[in-house]
Amino acid sequence: MMKSINNGCSERRHVPWAGRKHCPRFACCQHYHSQIPLLFTVEDLVASDSEELAQKCSLSYKALLAIRRVLLAQHTAFPVSGADLYEELLSSTAIVSTSIPSLDKLLDSGLYTGEITELSGGPGTGKSQMEALQRIRVFRVFDIFSLLGCLHTIRCGGPQQASLGAGSVKAVIVDSVSAIISPTLGGKQNEGMSLMMQVAGALKTIAKDFNVAVLVTNHVTRGAGGELQAGLGLTWSHVPRTRLLLERSRGPGPLLGSTRTATLVKSSRQPCHIKAQFDLNWGSGSEEGLPGRKRARDSSDS
Amino acid sequence: MGDYKTETGAQLFARLEARRCLIDIEPHLFPKNCGPQYGEVVELHGLEGTGKTELLYHLLCRCILPVEAGGMGVEVVFVDTDYSLDMLRLVTILENRLAAGRSSSSPQAESDAGCSEEAALRTCLSRLLVVHCGSSSQLLLTLHYLETSLSSRPGLSLLLIDSISAFYWLDRCGGGESAARQEDKLTKCSELLSRLLRDYRITVFATSHAIRRNYRNIATSSSSSSSSPSCSEYEQPYLCRPWQRLVTHRLLCSRGTPGTNMATACTEEQSRRQAFNVRCVSFSSSSSSSKVTKAHKSSSFYVTDGGVVFV
Repeated sequence: MMKSINNGCSERRHVPWAGRKHCPRFACCQHYHSQIPLLFTVEDLVASDSEELAQKCSLSYKALLAIRRVLLAQHTAFPVSGADLYEELLSSTAIVSTSIPSLDKLLDSGLYTGEITELSGGPGTGKSQMEALQRIRVFRVFDIFSLLGCLHTIRCGGPQQASLGAGSVKAVIVDSVSAIISPTLGGKQNEGMSLMMQVAGALKTIAKDFNVAVLVTNHVTRGAGGELQAGLGLTWSHVPRTRLLLERSRGPGPLLGSTRTATLVKSSRQPCHIKAQFDLNWGSGSEEGLPGRKRARDSSDS
Repeated sequence: MGDYKTETGAQLFARLEARRCLIDIEPHLFPKNCGPQYGEVVELHGLEGTGKTELLYHLLCRCILPVEAGGMGVEVVFVDTDYSLDMLRLVTILENRLAAGRSSSSPQAESDAGCSEEAALRTCLSRLLVVHCGSSSQLLLTLHYLETSLSSRPGLSLLLIDSISAFYWLDRCGGGESAARQEDKLTKCSELLSRLLRDYRITVFATSHAIRRNYRNIATSSSSSSSSPSCSEYEQPYLCRPWQRLVTHRLLCSRGTPGTNMATACTEEQSRRQAFNVRCVSFSSSSSSSKVTKAHKSSSFYVTDGGVVFV
């Protein structure tokens, strides 16, 4: 990058200003840069004082200001007025029903698009049954890197391409996110946590940009006081907007084998800790899949 | 950087013109006469589900509502780093507060109530600017870009960042083995923020998620406070030092036990609601390496449809 500036190249557009990651000449320029540590990344240029820089290299002050403006235009996120954002949300937000009425009531009529909803529960509590079973496209992934790759493909291609046919995609389900992420945690802490946050970021971007409802399932652990809580720890707890905890019903009377209780643990719309009971046999079919299987599915609107 | 910086006359006036001071933004939260002044930073810290986002919406609404409805009528920039802004919830709170303000002030102006409600809501929302950032590099560049917005909008007094700790793990992994490189991006953001605070006299509120459990404090805290014994375990600041030096007020949020600490609950319904506790610790503004606590205050609130209600 610096080479072309010092040659007095005046065609700013042809300089690959895409930042360190995307600079095709990065590898070969690195040695050059280390000798003259003036500028290295987009952030350094934007942060530097244009007057001082104009004195050091052969560009004019005005040219540097223009470059700075172009870089900012390419790389920053633009502020949006609250009124416009609200208009957009009103027209694009939809609610996907879980097809179980008591759960829908708990979730304030269903899964909202643009958000991540989490279902956590032990084995056999009916997590896998929540998902709408008609017209599902299944992607099987067995480790976190394949999941990230799969999410990236969805993001780039748009869910329209990934869907089966004429229906528009309204929900993305990751079952189960904890089975993929848990093996990476512990040990080398940084990498596992970072991968987990990358998955979280990818899911949120998909939810917001393509207006889909994202549903993830999680396992449960026992907390410090012995109470049941969702797995994956404190950092993940901030990621989903709404969280439900599923468990087998207990209480007096005949214990119906297929009844489950769902507790609303986190919500921005309803008061917390309200419970609802539902019957697993409400939907169709029995529970499918082995507990160790990890699946990412796209499901389209009926 | 150079010793002096040139700016146009318009920029000079935009910079020096008095932006609204937010010292009276919420007297329940801050100790007496210790509200956030010009150039101060408030950090809201706590676990998931402790009411941080609700508090942020409460402060945001207080800023963008017009003066007649109990607000301050100032402009706000909301930097959203983890897509956690719930516009529908924000609009519900705004509508409730506008309705409450309208019913208490002028009961006879009901004929044109319908269209003016829409217009009032739209005016409030137009004072809010929302920016989404996906990485700490983008956050840094966006803050540079916001400088031009700050010079062109003298009504902009508040910068809200939700949350400043969103890229913590990504930066740690991206920085490899060197701690300095891991904290590099957030350090640069903090330095830029301190320059913006100084030059433009705005105030910054930021949330940070509690993700670390401090096991050393467990033994000592188990004998001290009885209402929330786990509060001090999660208080440890973990973000980089330049950010910690910037923070002048820390609001530590935690969940209260429902029903027990509502000694002044008027109705039975209130005693069943989940209460949240906030402890405010204000530091003296001399920025040395060790912060001296100037004042502190504890308060409680619960959440209704119309937002936060203090006890």
